[in-house]
Amino acid sequence: MDTEHIDTFLERYLLLLHEYASLREQLSSLQTGIYQNIARANFAAERGMRFGQDYYDERMQASRRLAITTDDDQGAPSFAIKGEDSETEVQVTPEPTVEDSETESKHVDDAADGSKKQEAEEVKTAPKKRRDPLKWFGLFTPTPLRQAQAQSVQAIEEIIPKLVSVNAQMAQVEIEVRRARKKRAKAEAAAAKQEQVQESGGGREIVA
Amino acid sequence: MSASQADYKDRQFLAVIGDEDSVTGLLLAGIGHVTNPPDSQKNFLVVDSKTENAAIEAAFDSFTTKRKDIGIVLINQHIAEKIRHRIDTYTAAFPTVLEIPSKEHPYDPEKDSVLRRVRRLFGE
Repeated sequence: MDTEHIDTFLERYLLLLHEYASLREQLSSLQTGIYQNIARANFAAERGMRFGQDYYDERMQASRRLAITTDDDQGAPSFAIKGEDSETEVQVTPEPTVEDSETESKHVDDAADGSKKQEAEEVKTAPKKRRDPLKWFGLFTPTPLRQAQAQSVQAIEEIIPKLVSVNAQMAQVEIEVRRARKKRAKAEAAAAKQEQVQESGGGREIVA
Repeated sequence: MSASQADYKDRQFLAVIGDEDSVTGLLLAGIGHVTNPPDSQKNFLVVDSKTENAAIEAAFDSFTTKRKDIGIVLINQHIAEKIRHRIDTYTAAFPTVLEIPSKEHPYDPEKDSVLRRVRRLFGE
């Protein structure tokens, strides 16, 4: 009974391991592409220009965020990435717009409603534009850098969340296997003891 | 269950510890985040040949222990090697740590902590 249980766990574990290995392969190939494209962009760039940390926006805000959920049946957490269109984005952007519109309304009390609305709209769209990390490196970004971004988005949205979710599931199955093995070892020890007792009991009978 | 839920629901950022190209590549996807001043905490660390192991360890500590808003820590495998003792003794469920390849150091399954766990499970 316990051995069957352990076998089922191990079978599941091997399937997860297979998935892990194939995701690892996909991540490696995507990252190789990212590095090659960044190298290409650097090679073609003006002298002294390097697409790196010197150009990072010091006030950058994440446009792709994590959402962790747990499945009650298995207990292993599941990871997902929420992109630009998700609800969290909508919740995050209003902060600066409220402040800005307040200060603006103090200065321009008599302004027409239409212009106010326009300003508000401009403020709303501005952070979104600034959020694209490609803009850190100037208005005209080279094609290889765009390709690197597309590969990076794929890695972040599709591969990495799956990889960590599979990892969490594997850790969960490892716990189950160890628990089942302990149980089996205990049962075996108890059976062996019982056998010993029976044998020694039988031996006495023979002697008697 | 509720305690663990409180532990993960605010973890909305990925953190990166890596060489410049790794960090740049991942930040291009829009995961980079700097918290509001005066703290202005970054969720990434660019490691070069001059970066001391203590600084890497401090960033790892900050991302895994001090900050409660990070759900995944991505770290280049060759940098993880420098603080291997910390990585191997780290057992918390959140944030989860994932070792990733870098430009000059391709993924090595021998060093992968997940595959080491697999070997331990079958070697017992």
